[in-house]
Amino acid sequence: MIPKLFHKYKLLFILILMAAVLSIISPRFLTKENLSNVLWSISIVGIMVSGTIYSPITSGVDLSVGSLAALSGVLFAKFMITFGFGLIPSILLTIAIACTIGFIHGLIITRINVPPLIITMAAKTYLFGIAMLISKGEMIPIMEPSSFMAIGGGKILGFPIPIFIMVIFILLSHILLKKTAYGRKALAVGANPVTAELSGIDAMQIQTIAYILSAFTAAIAGLVLCSISQLAYALLGQGLELEVITAIVLGGTPLGGGGFGTVFGALIGTVMVGFIGNGLNLMNVPSSFHPIVTGLVIISALALNENLRMGSGTKLKKAKL
Amino acid sequence: MSTNTNDILVQGKHVTKSYHGNVVLEDIEFDIRRGEVHSLVGENGAGKSTLVKIITGVTPRNNGEVDFDGHELPIDFPRTFVEKLGIAVIFQELSLIPGLTVAQNIFLGREPKLGKTRLIDKKKMVTDAEAIIKKYNFPLDPKAEIDSLSIGKRQLVEILKALSMDSKLMIMDEPTASLNLKESKLLFDIIKNLREEGVSILYISHRMEEVFELSDRVTVLRDGQKVALLDREEISPERIISLMIGRDLSVSDYEESVLKTVSGDTILEVKKLCSEKKFSDISFSLNKGEILGISGLVGSGRTEIVRAIYGVDPITSGSVLFDGKEITPTVKQSISLGFGFVPEDRRQQGVFMQLPINKNICSTNFDRYTRMGFVNEKGEDAIAESGINMVSIKPKDPNYIVGNLSGGNQQKVVLAKWLVRDLSILIIDEPTAGIDVGAKDEIYSVINNLARKGVGVLLISSDLPELTRLSDRIIVLREGKMIKEFKDQSITEEEVLRASSGLI
Amino acid sequence: MTQSMLRKIILLVLILAVMTFFTIMSPYFFTANNLFTLLQEASFLGIAAVGVTFVMIAGGLDLSIGSATALTAMVCINFLEYTNLPVLLFLPISLLAGAFVGTFNGFVINRFKLPDFIVTLSSKGVFSGLALVIAVKENGFVSNVFIDNPTYLWFAGKLGPLYYVTIAFVIIAIGGHFLLKWTKFGTYVYAVGANKNAAMLSGVDIKQIKYGVYILAGVAASITAIFQSSRMMTAMPEMGIGTELDIIAAIVIGGTAFRGGRGDIIGTVMGVLFLTIVKNGIFKLQITPAIQQIVIGGIIIAAVVFDEWYRNYSARKRNMVV
Repeated sequence: MIPKLFHKYKLLFILILMAAVLSIISPRFLTKENLSNVLWSISIVGIMVSGTIYSPITSGVDLSVGSLAALSGVLFAKFMITFGFGLIPSILLTIAIACTIGFIHGLIITRINVPPLIITMAAKTYLFGIAMLISKGEMIPIMEPSSFMAIGGGKILGFPIPIFIMVIFILLSHILLKKTAYGRKALAVGANPVTAELSGIDAMQIQTIAYILSAFTAAIAGLVLCSISQLAYALLGQGLELEVITAIVLGGTPLGGGGFGTVFGALIGTVMVGFIGNGLNLMNVPSSFHPIVTGLVIISALALNENLRMGSGTKLKKAKL
Repeated sequence: MSTNTNDILVQGKHVTKSYHGNVVLEDIEFDIRRGEVHSLVGENGAGKSTLVKIITGVTPRNNGEVDFDGHELPIDFPRTFVEKLGIAVIFQELSLIPGLTVAQNIFLGREPKLGKTRLIDKKKMVTDAEAIIKKYNFPLDPKAEIDSLSIGKRQLVEILKALSMDSKLMIMDEPTASLNLKESKLLFDIIKNLREEGVSILYISHRMEEVFELSDRVTVLRDGQKVALLDREEISPERIISLMIGRDLSVSDYEESVLKTVSGDTILEVKKLCSEKKFSDISFSLNKGEILGISGLVGSGRTEIVRAIYGVDPITSGSVLFDGKEITPTVKQSISLGFGFVPEDRRQQGVFMQLPINKNICSTNFDRYTRMGFVNEKGEDAIAESGINMVSIKPKDPNYIVGNLSGGNQQKVVLAKWLVRDLSILIIDEPTAGIDVGAKDEIYSVINNLARKGVGVLLISSDLPELTRLSDRIIVLREGKMIKEFKDQSITEEEVLRASSGLI
Repeated sequence: MTQSMLRKIILLVLILAVMTFFTIMSPYFFTANNLFTLLQEASFLGIAAVGVTFVMIAGGLDLSIGSATALTAMVCINFLEYTNLPVLLFLPISLLAGAFVGTFNGFVINRFKLPDFIVTLSSKGVFSGLALVIAVKENGFVSNVFIDNPTYLWFAGKLGPLYYVTIAFVIIAIGGHFLLKWTKFGTYVYAVGANKNAAMLSGVDIKQIKYGVYILAGVAASITAIFQSSRMMTAMPEMGIGTELDIIAAIVIGGTAFRGGRGDIIGTVMGVLFLTIVKNGIFKLQITPAIQQIVIGGIIIAAVVFDEWYRNYSARKRNMVV
């Protein structure tokens, strides 16, 4: 019983263990302030994780989310400040554009059958370029309206609002994965696209939607990021995709499908990434060591998780019926 | 037979093999002489490929010994050892590297060195390849990349690769499956030349005319046992077929085909169906409650036809009528019309190996347990449970991962996911391949019960007893065309086998 | 015509076209000075790209190549600054550092059977972190070491108008082409990338090949590092950041299949030239560099989409003829 329980909640145990070790090392760790800080620092990644997780679940990957978040911020600032579209129309327009971009990526990947890794890598580049072009490489300060600024600066119950946004998105994503037909179909497509297709599931459609979802959460994250940093900037959000993918993979969702995927796991992965950074700070480890430790932790976590090994899932590339 | 042991290249004694308690080869004695074409025949599952796997070290034998060229082969040995011994295998599944040239593929792993350096002598490689190609008169360019070749030509490269090894024994498993007539003819000439040169050939084929044309001797296997060894003068297709089947089956010894509600209403009609390069001019109809068997060798187009009807592959011309109305098949529509599809490759196409039983069964039923996109978990559980009970999957645990089930239970899962729906037509391709006897009978009764309820069944099988036992009618395909239809109830395996092997 | 041949002709036409375009658009583009600088830039990219081409033909992916450049450059520079050993020893030490980096990637991929992508993504962090650790001095700040050792600075020099690095690139490209096309190792790299099973049946040691290609990439990174740090007269932990994308872009443009099993060095060289010309030309037009990113992203997508389309097209055509 205990081993089974342990197996099921392995990640949570590891997280608690990490917290325990950190609280012994530093008494400052288990303070509300510090924990709130950690959660705040990961909230952007957490929001992105909630949508981006569907591309690995359906045996793809999306590396463009960092650039897309940055582009969304820049677009939003342009719409609101330069064009004076008003808050809500600007937000909606930004999200619509981001989702369209995700949709196009999804179409290219599924209909032309090209590897998602290279397409989204290229997308990362060109989206960054567009963001630079639109913003002319400058920071666009955002000070108004106060309702928007409150998202990044405000607090509820003493916790910053972005944390709540992250929690809401994680919960929604969890419901999507566990309680809806889309979630069921996404896991099935990841497990075996051919069987899925023969069972009447439109695998291409499911995969395309995954890229729309990741674009959608990237846009939300970009907007929240704007509000937190009170500016839009093409460099803001660059590189976030690596943290997002690290969190997803640490959380036990393999790249390349295989019928696995857990949103809560990815959340735990996100918190782990936050803990590692926070712990290193608390231990006064020079920041230059952080990437080394993070890299090694990821490699060991991967090495320990059998689900993540190659060959556990049917490859997307063989999906052609 | 031969008293001179020097004549014998391969000798097997008491060779036995079983998988998970299933005996697939039982105490087999066989020998292959130097410079003979020795054919190995038997129905699917008779143990032919297992025997080849034992000789080539792919699977270890459980018992007995195999001598090659006077030395006993170890139980378990690496694949590369086989080449060193002088055994070449022509693989059915292509083992070529597409980005490399013909010459590079032929000599992969055995590249000629440039003097004492570690470099490849490319010139020598190309001229060597050219020499072999010329010797066997193949229409190939040694510098052509595999990418640019047709499937048949790739198979020729595969054959050349084996030929270039100067082996003492060549094993050919259905080598003509993807060759056209001209290419096949070329291969037969080569086989005859090799025999002259003293090379032994172990030839495996379902096509009786090939076996008849080429063989010096024929070993017939049935249900894992050797039933006969025929010399050249004893070989006749009729003889081989009756030995393969092993029973005089002019009178069916089964008690099926009773109490069926064959209503006579046509549920599916196919008219002049064609698909580019795969099959042409296929016409048949299926009645409610009828089991229509489809027979044919691998590559005869039988799987392609049902895939096209189900809506997986495109149709180039012809029409499909469901309940009298013409339809353009798509998978989604087929499912909504009540089709069920049990594919040939169970592990790759039938089940989700990593998902539990319930998710597998429910994968075809989203319309029945979701509302507005949300899952009704009670409804889902109910569907899974009814599916598990319908075909009695063991274990009954709906959360059990399908990949850990036995083959028979996996197949039951595939059946269950269709049975929980209201079926009108079930398409089932090789329902019992690799399944133990007990589960086979259960699957047969599931199919019969469905037919009794008025479901039309399209059954494809290479297992002739199974096909004749279950089917009301059988159509026989050969090279993408319908060549025969057996209408009466007294279909014999022999007739079907003769038709599919091209003897009619 | 084979796909790779067609690809090269298209690339050649494109290279000529963009060169003509930039010559017309900017008076600063087609000058001897700029062209040799362009070749120098291409060489930095190209040397590493030759190494990564092996990785990608073998079906892998090396995202750590930029960080590997930074790390080996840091090792090299600090060796020169803080030891009194013979100066020329920096060469073997630098190459060894590169080989070590490659071995690390190869080890993790082979031992734990993990996807190349995620492993090199993680090791990218490890390498750039190590580079940073080396850069940090006792006072906790990063201060770059400047090198004025003439032997070392020789590497930044020219032979006539041609930079030494360009000569090195030509030699390495020829050597790489030779290794790929004329040795067993090269043949097996294709085999592993195209069909692991078939490679195994022919007696190819897949793990050994994987080690080999990653070590080659690491060594290539270290050679780039020597020339680049010599030109800058220093090394910094940030120096290779982001170059992996340019490298992969150049290789993919050059026709090496992202899925492995196909490609060659000639294509990579052409891809490197094309990419560098586009980048340099856009720079010379004095328009915003953001266009560079958009164009490169677009070219990569166009290249892979073309490959896939052509593959399907030729497969269909081939099977109709039969």
